[in-house]
Amino acid sequence: MAALRQTPLRLLASSSVRRAATPQAIRITTRGLASVTTMPPTDKDPTPKKKEPVLKKFQIYRWSPDEPAKKPHMQEYTLDLNETGPMVLDALIRIKNEQDPTLTFRRSCREGICGSCAMNIEGTNTLACLCRINRDASQTTRIYPLPHMYIVRDLVPDLTNFYKQYKSIKPYLQRKEPTADGKEIRQSIQERKKLDGLYECILCACCSTSCPSYWWNQEEYLGPAVLMQAYRWLADSRDQMTGQRKDMLDNSMSLYRCHTIMNCARTCPKGLNPGKAIAEIKKMMVQSS
Amino acid sequence: MASAFRPSAARILASKPASAIRFLPQTRVAAFHVSQRSQILPPGPQIVIGTVNDPVPIPTSNAAHGSYHWAFERLIALGMVPLTIAPFVAGTANPALDAALGTALVLHSHIGFDACVTDYFPKRQYPKTRTFMIWLLRGATITAAVGLFSFQTNDVGLTEGIKKMWKA
Amino acid sequence: MLSTKVISRTLLRTARPKATSLNTSFFTPRRLVATESVPASSASSILASQRLNRPVSPHLTIYQPQLTWYLSSLNRVTGVTVAGLFYLFTIGYVFSKPFGVNMSAANISRKWGELSTPIKLAVKAPLAAVFSFHCWNGVRHLVWDTGRELSVRGVYRTGYGVLGLTAVSTIGLLLV
Repeated sequence: MAALRQTPLRLLASSSVRRAATPQAIRITTRGLASVTTMPPTDKDPTPKKKEPVLKKFQIYRWSPDEPAKKPHMQEYTLDLNETGPMVLDALIRIKNEQDPTLTFRRSCREGICGSCAMNIEGTNTLACLCRINRDASQTTRIYPLPHMYIVRDLVPDLTNFYKQYKSIKPYLQRKEPTADGKEIRQSIQERKKLDGLYECILCACCSTSCPSYWWNQEEYLGPAVLMQAYRWLADSRDQMTGQRKDMLDNSMSLYRCHTIMNCARTCPKGLNPGKAIAEIKKMMVQSS
Repeated sequence: MASAFRPSAARILASKPASAIRFLPQTRVAAFHVSQRSQILPPGPQIVIGTVNDPVPIPTSNAAHGSYHWAFERLIALGMVPLTIAPFVAGTANPALDAALGTALVLHSHIGFDACVTDYFPKRQYPKTRTFMIWLLRGATITAAVGLFSFQTNDVGLTEGIKKMWKA
Repeated sequence: MLSTKVISRTLLRTARPKATSLNTSFFTPRRLVATESVPASSASSILASQRLNRPVSPHLTIYQPQLTWYLSSLNRVTGVTVAGLFYLFTIGYVFSKPFGVNMSAANISRKWGELSTPIKLAVKAPLAAVFSFHCWNGVRHLVWDTGRELSVRGVYRTGYGVLGLTAVSTIGLLLV
């Protein structure tokens, strides 16, 4: 399958490079998809010195719904890091393209803005596209899906419940009446500042799935990511449903399963702090509404 | 179905002599080091209530289990800080302080155990075990309170007792 | 959904490179698998049955040991230990009289005092450590509840602080 996907861009690039190849241009590399390809030198060129291959092992969690009775297992792949891009996502794409097309994972933007490639790499939840490959070839990199999630296939967890929880906090501006002058709802600089560090969340679910409380009670406990978004709307000066929003959280499970473990802040690939946001909600909850 | 015809990697490994193992292809199956069998309180199969587009149901608001509970928990914990230090500073046992510390200790322990039950016995998966644990805990707390009361009144009292046993 | 396997197999079959390179008029690939039509209404039930097969990804065993959740679980373990011993003693005190066991403080401390120092130390040292860790970490939690020290830096700073204080107060308690 991968052989068929020789992109026109790559073909174009290679042909233009061949035309431009002169004895002066000794070593030209083009980067297609996730692999770094070294162009073969023309006969006249002095042979470029070949780099010693850095063979790195990757162990990846595998499970296929086609064979539901078969237990999940770790499959090992070896890649030469000199021919692989710098990030773990590059390695995964290269494995999928060149070694095993059945390897399944989510990816989209490859720049840490979509949150698709969230997974557990070397024990911590992070985005594969933002996580550099550890160049130490003696260590095997282990890649698991997000912890304690139902697995659709390989590295793809089912986030249905996570999104349903996000929907339950009503993540949109709620107003009782329009503004007095009928114009846009204005906010002071200080009020806007409260939303910094909250609105940047991309809902990759890294924090929620790093939280032991969420592992044990994910049906009822909302988890750090969703609670931080709940706080984002509680803290918004334009929102007028603060009372109702607080009432929604006022039970033993939704909010108060948070025991300030702080794995969430530790793991967030965007450097946000859901733990702090939850503590602020707890403080808000005891103040009279 | 397909796996019935395809020998598993483990079977290949077992059938071949040891020297052949080294020449297995690059892509090989490593043993999964996480045992799935010995899981404590497994989460059970995935059941999604409602469609993908429905929000999760919102529990009824109950401050007694929510914000008041949290505030009460913190108040007791906060109160325990001076109550724990006091006997060390005072040096002598004071019946009033003893009673306060004992009450706080029982309440704090009960809330702590209760949090464990809520955390580890989710309502959906273990409804019976959860109810049993809650009542077991209530019974234990009441018995402990009775025991503490008789220890305070008939014996030397909490701090004096701990001191005696620690220094013995 | 059930038919995805079937579809992907047929896709693989038709997408073989050799089929594209040859004149395909003679080589119409023979389908070994029959497709099966599934009504759209059964989609949700098929999905629900597939969900039942799904495994849960590994968690505790594979997550990197970090100060954050290690200290948190230690807080719970130590709390349960201290409270458990407290409950054991007080509940035991209630039932000691009917069963004729003398659990008075004087009797226990006398029996306990008869043991040798190494044994006493082996029991007292972990007990002191468990108790003082839970106390210091409890204070840490109370600081957090005011919203302070709730950054990754703060968590680590206070975490190491608690471990240091625990060591000091454990030794202190053993010297009392």
